[in-house]
Amino acid sequence: MKQGFTYLFRFLLYLILIAPLLLFAAYAFSTRWFFPQPFPIEWTVGTFQRVVHDSQTLSSMVQGVGIAFLVSVLSLLLALPAARVLGLRKFRGRQLAWLLIFIPSIVPPLAVGMGLNILFLRIGLAGTITGVVLAHIIPTLPYTIFTLSSAFARFDENYEFQALALGASPLQIFLKVTLRMITPSLVVAALFAFLISWSQYLLTLLIGGGQIITLPILLFSAASGGNPATIAALSLLFVAPPVLVLAFTARSLNQHGNEIREQY
Amino acid sequence: MKRFVFLFVVLSLILAACASPAQSASEFDINNWDSVLAAAKGQTVNWYIWGGSDSINTFVDNFYGAALKEQYDITLNRVPLADTADAVNQVLSEKQAGKEIGAVDLIWINGENFFTLKQADMLHKDWAQQLPNSQYVNWDNPAINLDFGRPVDNMESPWSSAQFQFIYDSARTNEDELPRSYNELKDWACAHPGRFTYIAPGPGGFLGTRFAKGALYEISGGAEQWLSFDQALWDQWSPELWNYFNELEPCLWRNGETYPKDESELVNLFSNNEVDLSMTNDITGAGRWITDGRMPETARAFVFDNYMIGDFNYVAIPLNAPNKAAALVLANLLLDPKLQAAQILPANGFGLGYAIDVNRVTDTTALAALQESASTLGDAATPASELAKSLVGDSAAEYQNLLEQGWQENVLQK
Repeated sequence: MKQGFTYLFRFLLYLILIAPLLLFAAYAFSTRWFFPQPFPIEWTVGTFQRVVHDSQTLSSMVQGVGIAFLVSVLSLLLALPAARVLGLRKFRGRQLAWLLIFIPSIVPPLAVGMGLNILFLRIGLAGTITGVVLAHIIPTLPYTIFTLSSAFARFDENYEFQALALGASPLQIFLKVTLRMITPSLVVAALFAFLISWSQYLLTLLIGGGQIITLPILLFSAASGGNPATIAALSLLFVAPPVLVLAFTARSLNQHGNEIREQY
Repeated sequence: MKRFVFLFVVLSLILAACASPAQSASEFDINNWDSVLAAAKGQTVNWYIWGGSDSINTFVDNFYGAALKEQYDITLNRVPLADTADAVNQVLSEKQAGKEIGAVDLIWINGENFFTLKQADMLHKDWAQQLPNSQYVNWDNPAINLDFGRPVDNMESPWSSAQFQFIYDSARTNEDELPRSYNELKDWACAHPGRFTYIAPGPGGFLGTRFAKGALYEISGGAEQWLSFDQALWDQWSPELWNYFNELEPCLWRNGETYPKDESELVNLFSNNEVDLSMTNDITGAGRWITDGRMPETARAFVFDNYMIGDFNYVAIPLNAPNKAAALVLANLLLDPKLQAAQILPANGFGLGYAIDVNRVTDTTALAALQESASTLGDAATPASELAKSLVGDSAAEYQNLLEQGWQENVLQK
């Protein structure tokens, strides 16, 4: 009886999670779905086919994934030292440092973007992948630093000292001790950075200036016209990479969870 | 060590960015079209264009993109925008940063944005009437040499024409019951309470502004007097205009507490059977909306007997456009009689009318194609004779703000 409820609850939870996707699918593969029809009458793959065959769709996805990947890597590289110090050390001005790091998530991106656009135009970074990647790092840093610093807060430096005492080189220590111990947080932080960069519209538009087209640019331009079929088709493509990345990392996270549990 | 690796990565990225290919700045003379074609060869033209309509996007790619490649070896890069103002902001930012070579080659522009760029002195000058196909454009027509009531000054070239119309669903409403004037519309709306609404006049709601201007014309009994700005005339008639809208308001959808903010919202209300009338600017009437699957196939366009405002729309080239020659070739191609004949065919999905004057076309095949297209606008369009009969021009630019702000204060907030 109790188990029945658990299953029902679980089913409802899945339903709530998957309902928006089902709705997107219904819109993407139908046309002329008007009130009061409860379900679409005219089903078609035409819209989806057109969206997929549009050369801009594919190139925008490839470009978006590439940018998000670069942003993840660079953001982690920047966040790692900062997070280590913030997580492990107590020092004067630590609160101030936290505040500074969180400012990008408080200041409206439009303000950042407008100023950055002029600066990047002057130094020739506007309209380039590099410029967009650098701009995307700004909103991702608070999340990567926060995620990694919580890993370092639970980190015991004595493991590193032990490795040092056993004769490991600093690089070996970093790769075999430090990195391994914070891997789950590293994956989560990379995921955050990827998702934030992947869904970035405003900064891409301002810094990319129309020369860098990612999927959100296409999505917003389609949304301005209000055609539900196109918007839904693009949205399905939009959620695909994050879902895939999530599915992939969820597995790796689980494995790591098990490994850590085994250790104790 | 790590620090150096990181610095190296960043530096190499920056260097990679700096090494982006220099723009080809070959010289050309606008009065020597062959030199323009030679300079444009191999260029990529970055056309910043509103991207909210699939059928327009497809039309642009299939017709202009293909023709540019085949005939002139030019690559079309269509940059889809959510709002044309984004392209204007890009150009203005480039100006602020002092960039002499920008990113934008051509913009599908409306009167407000044209005026903004003109004021900022960021438009390429002296070209529109030098295009070879400009011979087909009737530049003496004030509807063409004025955009939004302001002189075009050879700084933009027309692409297509539009005229305000209404749309009804022939499966729901009989044609002979439709209102044929603003006065009749009020009675019609009150006989069908909640079944009519209009787009809120204002930025983004240009169809609503146009609807309100038509009402102003009818109430004041003429369109011509509004061509030049006269504050006294406005003061005389605007109270009656607000009066008309306030009388209409209780009969509107949701009692006029709220209004759709743009064309897309009104189309959704119409197609979901919440209201019985929609509005459009397309010469093909409801054709593009039906192609896009946004309206039932029984949707049809109609006009009042008078005061249906029509105008032209244009493309402009920013002063710092990187590929001006290619932009000129594209602007010229837009006026090509064959492509003009293609653009109004409902099946091709663009749906807007001719920018050229058919009477100026001497080539017999092209003329035949233009006439053929004009007579096959499809069932969803208003017959050409009715369009012509009800056509009036837009008012002076100064009235736009007065009307939009006045409507906010006297109708929406009342």
